[in-house]
Amino acid sequence: MPTPELMAELDERLGDPHDPATALSYARCAQLDARDEFPAEACRLLDGLGLPAYYAPAAHGGALARYEDLLGIIRILARRDFTVALAHCKTYLGSVAVWMGGTAEQAAALGRRVTGGAVVSLALTESAHGSDLLAGELTATVDGDGYRLDGEKWLINNATRADLVCVLARTDPAGGPRGFSLFLVDKRALAASEFSCLPRVRTHGVRGADISGVAFHGAPVPGAALVGTLGGGLELAMKSLQVTRALVPGMSLGMADHALRLAVGFAFGHRMYERRLADLPHAARTLAEAYADLLTCEAVSLVTTRSIQALPGELSIGSAVVKYLVPTVIDQVVGRLGQVLGARALLTEAFEHGRFQKLERDHRIVGIFDGNTVVNLGALINQFPILARSYRRGRVDAAGLDAASTLDAALKALDRDRLSLLAREGSSVLAGLADSVARLNAMAAAGRAPGAVAALADDVLAVTERLHQQLAEHRPTPRDVPASAFDLAQRYTLCYAAAACVRLWLANQEAFVADPLWVDATWLEAALVRLLRRLDPAAVRDDGPALDRLAGPLADQYRDGSMFSLLPCRLSEKKT
Amino acid sequence: MTLEDLELRLGDPLDPANPLGQQEVLAADERGELLAAGERMLADYGLNAEFVPTELGGRLDRADRLAHGLRAVFRRDAALGIGYGVTSFISAVPVWTSGDAEQRRWMADLLLSGRRAAAGYTELAHGADFSRIETAAVARGGGLHLSGGKQLVNNVGRAEAVLLFARTDDAPGSRSHSHLLLDLRQAPPDRFRILPRFHTSGVRGCLLAGIEFQDCPVPAGAVVGELGGAMETVLRAFQVTRSVLPGMMIGVLDTQLRTVLRFARKRQLYGRSVADIPHARSVLVGAFLDLLICDSLATVAARALHLHPEQTSVLAAAVKYLVPKLMQDAAQQLATLLGARSFLRDGPYGIFQKHARDLPVVSLAHASSAVCLASIIAQLPRLAQRGWTAPVPPDPVLFRFADPLPPLVIDRLGLTTRGEDSLMGVLATEQELPGLTAGLRKALADLRERCVDLRPRERTVVAGRPSFELAERYAFLAAAAAAVGVWRAQDGFLGDTPWITGALHRLADRLGLDCGPMPDGVREAVLAELLDRHDRNLSFDLIRRRLA
Repeated sequence: MPTPELMAELDERLGDPHDPATALSYARCAQLDARDEFPAEACRLLDGLGLPAYYAPAAHGGALARYEDLLGIIRILARRDFTVALAHCKTYLGSVAVWMGGTAEQAAALGRRVTGGAVVSLALTESAHGSDLLAGELTATVDGDGYRLDGEKWLINNATRADLVCVLARTDPAGGPRGFSLFLVDKRALAASEFSCLPRVRTHGVRGADISGVAFHGAPVPGAALVGTLGGGLELAMKSLQVTRALVPGMSLGMADHALRLAVGFAFGHRMYERRLADLPHAARTLAEAYADLLTCEAVSLVTTRSIQALPGELSIGSAVVKYLVPTVIDQVVGRLGQVLGARALLTEAFEHGRFQKLERDHRIVGIFDGNTVVNLGALINQFPILARSYRRGRVDAAGLDAASTLDAALKALDRDRLSLLAREGSSVLAGLADSVARLNAMAAAGRAPGAVAALADDVLAVTERLHQQLAEHRPTPRDVPASAFDLAQRYTLCYAAAACVRLWLANQEAFVADPLWVDATWLEAALVRLLRRLDPAAVRDDGPALDRLAGPLADQYRDGSMFSLLPCRLSEKKT
Repeated sequence: MTLEDLELRLGDPLDPANPLGQQEVLAADERGELLAAGERMLADYGLNAEFVPTELGGRLDRADRLAHGLRAVFRRDAALGIGYGVTSFISAVPVWTSGDAEQRRWMADLLLSGRRAAAGYTELAHGADFSRIETAAVARGGGLHLSGGKQLVNNVGRAEAVLLFARTDDAPGSRSHSHLLLDLRQAPPDRFRILPRFHTSGVRGCLLAGIEFQDCPVPAGAVVGELGGAMETVLRAFQVTRSVLPGMMIGVLDTQLRTVLRFARKRQLYGRSVADIPHARSVLVGAFLDLLICDSLATVAARALHLHPEQTSVLAAAVKYLVPKLMQDAAQQLATLLGARSFLRDGPYGIFQKHARDLPVVSLAHASSAVCLASIIAQLPRLAQRGWTAPVPPDPVLFRFADPLPPLVIDRLGLTTRGEDSLMGVLATEQELPGLTAGLRKALADLRERCVDLRPRERTVVAGRPSFELAERYAFLAAAAAAVGVWRAQDGFLGDTPWITGALHRLADRLGLDCGPMPDGVREAVLAELLDRHDRNLSFDLIRRRLA
């Protein structure tokens, strides 16, 4: 089943969100949030729907064969309620290290637990050290055939609820990059005195989530609990996070859909100055910009998520790009949509169960967890020399890039051995831009694509060329990374997104000849205009026409209850 | 009573034993209540007197001082600032503007005795579109009778008075609305009711509610100013409130920055403190510069109410638009430094998320960004035709904060600027900082060119996005002019070049101008000042006040 159909079916099975009798209704979710209460009933419902199977690869007894399925599932859940999405999907995060580094026996055993509904949590961070994992103090010391864990992990999602916790522990007192290891700890197998769960912290958003911690007091774990190699924990964690970071955009996309739906619904019904709010040019433009940004984020996310299987060796780039860019852009989108809603964006009960203010608070965490803005831009900065070099050489994994960008292309199972901390051969998405732009120009010359879009793509290419010269001039300084390097990294993410958009349109436009979003490269033009405005404001004379053309598809998708998306996906939400 | 005294009474925010400390502020927010001890303190201090002109027995004589004074309250708790006092001020200013002697006396006495007035403007169904206001008073049997409802009115459930913006004529146009000042203690209880409270994501302690009238008789003396004159009164009165409120709000960013700075200096990451990481430093410096930009614009606008009352109609809108925007952007950047701590409601940095929730609510209060930009848009062509061709520089007292100001005469505030814009004269004449000011001058010339022939439709509330962008560019340039003026007139750090260079760079960036990289040493010098102020517990704004 294609991913959008899978998503539509899931949404249908979640029930009508406007029916307060359903566990995942807007009313229930709002009540739980107001009470800081965990959405236990909703999680049971998802267990009952068999969703946990998607947290385990098909090879290990699960249902996960295409990562974009998981992206879509996360998106559907986050659209409904992010607390629920976070609470449930985090089992994939907890398990991922075993999928990426565990033995066949470990994976088979965990696959059984996961598909059976076990909650698995990932515990990397500690109170005093945050993203500085090298400073971690929780230790695992050899004890007979196994190990003993001492120390605590904090701000861990599902730490208290979890049946199993994947823990990063210091295994060499001297620490260092090879001084840590991952252990899959079965809390059920520990005595009560051997561990304790730290109190749940109260949070700004996702108020019902179990964000807590776990402390081990000489907790014995068998030797078989070691995941991957002794001393290989940091590397395995980093590789595993590449995969999960490529899935995080599903959260932002889901919440952006929710926000845009609220804003569009309001703008269609509310009257100001003798017309519908949606017909006030300023408000209409804000909606179109939000839609364009959402579609842009979707495009780069699709290409990146497919890259997990199609271009695993380059995932260190794409995962950092989307984990930085998508939450950042969607934070802005949500903020601007709040301007359209005005006071209603801030009301906790009186307007639509306070859904907008909840999702606005909820979304803030997406940019923070599992590698924040600074960490992800830093990951790109570390690779500047490689990125500059490989771009100059024009090295492209053509087959991989085609598979990543062609939505109906079959994908091979993820070859985890190809994951790499550094993309040794650079980014095919960006190195392939010149070819994409040439193809787009050829299509424009043949009258099969608008010339204006090809011209925008030319501008993107010019900006990308200049950027890579600057990357080449950047002198690596591991400690004192200058603030200007972060500016370059941000620009890199925008160029990457633009390149992904061009490629995605080229690779799939023939499959969507009747879709107004795809015809005449409508969405692509809007996406490029929005990205160029950030990259080179002077290059964009008038972004109005491209954005105005999105008004029709936006209204259509709203009216027929489809997800705001490049791909048709019907939602179960009944009109109110 | 001095405003320094107010700061002392607020006490050390980090002292857990302080009943007005951050811990108590957070706890009250969690309960959705205003901090009772804070309300008692402000009552005891007599905060309302700050809102009453001196000639009526209060302490209001300068708009800039009012903003600076209330900033202390906002630094601690925006909910307290709004919830205790500010809406009383918003409802009082139209009375100062157009009320008769008796009404002014009555309002002054009400406030000076510690009571409250609510400002009844908002109808949720119509938002910023005042022309569709439905609350209406109709004449019958020699008196007015009021019907209709207002929503999201702060304190209306516990206010003794309410100032209502109501329709008094069915005809369309700008002469159909009047201000009605009602004594809710005297109103017939069967003719009005208080509607349930509205709960909000920020300033959760504020008591926002609705009020609904049903054929409620309005006493003869209730109409404030001329019948049908409320639109015009609002155009003047809101210049005062829209200039002053953002100046108060700057206290929120001060606390946001102070909280993150405290974290960054303490937190060890990768073997050193976060505050030693270049990227972190750049974020901290950026937030400090934005705060100084905000205060330059807000303070200059507040002083302009006294010095250039005929010109503040545009400037006030620019302040109300730009200051909240810059503050919210800065807070978002600061959140990336604070990382996961920006998301926690407890612990030593829990106050950050509270302020982050408060900011959007406070920003929206009393005019959305679209409303502010729309009111700028309407005046852009005249400004382009006159004000920006050869602007006459402003009165130098505008930037000399220690100099006395002429009295604030609200009557003299112009409904439009008639194209006058002295503030831009600062940019036109500044010759130092050559690259930066030349770039800004060019941006002003471009703006002029694009505004001078703006089509009539593009000058109204139904204008397209390009007009809104032009209005935003005006606001950035006004902020730049204000900052240059401040820099010119001040000495010490504010008279030195690093901060103004940094500030203009940030504004030029937002205008999309290419001014090259920030010159060497700018960040370091600004950071040194920031750290020094933090060490010495001084405020981060222009006035560098000693904090409790």
